[in-house]
Amino acid sequence: MSTTKLFLRGVADMRRFPLPQLCTLLTVCMVALLAGTGLLILHNVQTEVLRTQAQARFQIYWKVGADVGAVESQWADLKHAPGIAEVSTFTPRAALSELMRGLAPKTSGGGLTGGNASSGANSGANSGEDFAWLEGENPLPATALVSFNIPPGEQPEPWMGRMYARLKGLEGVEQVTYNPTQLTLATGWIALIQKAAWPALGFFALVVGLVVGNTLKLMMLARKDEVEILSLVGARPWFIRAPLFANGVVQGLTGSVLSLFCLKFLQAWLRSVLDVPPLFLKVEFLPLWQSVALVLATTCVAGLASLIAARK
Amino acid sequence: MVHLEHVNCILGGAQALKDVTLHVERGEFVFLTGPSGAGKTTLLRVLYGDLKPKTGAADVAGVDLMRLRGVQLPELRRKVAVVFQDFKVLPERSVFENIAIALEVRGVSSVSIDKRVRAVIRALDLEERSYARCSELSGGEQQRVAIARSMVVNPELILADEPTGNLDSDLSRHLIDLFKQFNTYGTTIIMATHNREVLSWAPEARQVHLVRGEIVPVPPGAPGWVLDTKPIIGGRA
Repeated sequence: MSTTKLFLRGVADMRRFPLPQLCTLLTVCMVALLAGTGLLILHNVQTEVLRTQAQARFQIYWKVGADVGAVESQWADLKHAPGIAEVSTFTPRAALSELMRGLAPKTSGGGLTGGNASSGANSGANSGEDFAWLEGENPLPATALVSFNIPPGEQPEPWMGRMYARLKGLEGVEQVTYNPTQLTLATGWIALIQKAAWPALGFFALVVGLVVGNTLKLMMLARKDEVEILSLVGARPWFIRAPLFANGVVQGLTGSVLSLFCLKFLQAWLRSVLDVPPLFLKVEFLPLWQSVALVLATTCVAGLASLIAARK
Repeated sequence: MVHLEHVNCILGGAQALKDVTLHVERGEFVFLTGPSGAGKTTLLRVLYGDLKPKTGAADVAGVDLMRLRGVQLPELRRKVAVVFQDFKVLPERSVFENIAIALEVRGVSSVSIDKRVRAVIRALDLEERSYARCSELSGGEQQRVAIARSMVVNPELILADEPTGNLDSDLSRHLIDLFKQFNTYGTTIIMATHNREVLSWAPEARQVHLVRGEIVPVPPGAPGWVLDTKPIIGGRA
């Protein structure tokens, strides 16, 4: 009998033991749901931390006298770049105004007089120091302060190196700088999350493995007589194990897919509860790769557990 | 067919078989007799590879049991069929399926399976129950299914462990006739029993008497079970 036929027989035989099968399916589903919930929490914490903490900030300086129209076009592109968190731009004129405002004596606290602080980057006509004579020959370049969220899973240093090269390659750009402290902070956060993620993933995998494995072993007790009889009539090990393996795989696959549906309901409910004032916590569903990994891991564990149970 | 030389077997810390030497030729019909706990089932378990002897030499149907590894077990089980007192049939499967399973594991084609199973079902008068689930059958019918499963593969050796233990006298007689019939076709049969009536239905069969794990001679004219309640007396085999 071919392996395919043995697998099909294993699936067909599932209807012979409806109650143990149903109980096992529920257990597999619930354990996978538990693991999925853990993953969901981890994923959302990571997303939130990366969104708020793991940012990389670049200061971009264009060449003095660069065409303002072209630069502004590049700024517009930057504002729509993937992972962009914040963009602050300064035309040479705005930078000059900012400089004048910065050099102006403080009107509060310090007791200095003689100037007015500007209220915005583009203001400055009435600043404390009068650089109006520079209007025609402004020595300041156009600049931009750009913050990016470092994408999850990316190593900060190589990612920043690539981003640095990309920004440096923009037409008319003279210099790009970034703050190493910011990089250190981002690296620290990402390392912390990764350190927490792997033990958590390992824990979930262990729980799924133990519970699903033992449940399937218990279910095999219902088929103990069948295994014994097959062995007595001279069945080879694979003839006995293949249908049981197929049974375990189907249980793992069905249970984990069902758990994903349950998880989606859970996520939708959490979102409706948490994404309201003043929390505004957006609970996202698992990324595709994590959903697939959950299904595959549960299915593999279930298949493996069936093989081990049949061996014993 | 069966060659055991000075076989010793330990089971649960106790010596279940002591220095057992037994030779059964092809086509023989042998009764294993003795009281409960004498070692009949243990000896049968050794013969179908369920229990490995501690010492001695054991060969069944050309398979050396002392060197038997797990992967070789199916080979032995395809030559040696076993019938148990508790039938060991799958209650949720039909009569046909229970018998066919022995051929399926051997990779026999479905056409051939159908033909052979129907022939055995007819021979054992189970035609009307072919597609009934075994859980719906009487004890006698279930035992016939178990015997049909063992016979459908034309084994070289049939081991039967108290096959009539759960049956009434008429059914028991019928089953012994079936075994005798297969024996006439050349199949070697070793049957464990402590039922003297069963012994009388096959007087031509050889008796091997076990007491406390040892083979002892059956006193002439006396049924073997007279030795049941006493320490071993008389000469050894």
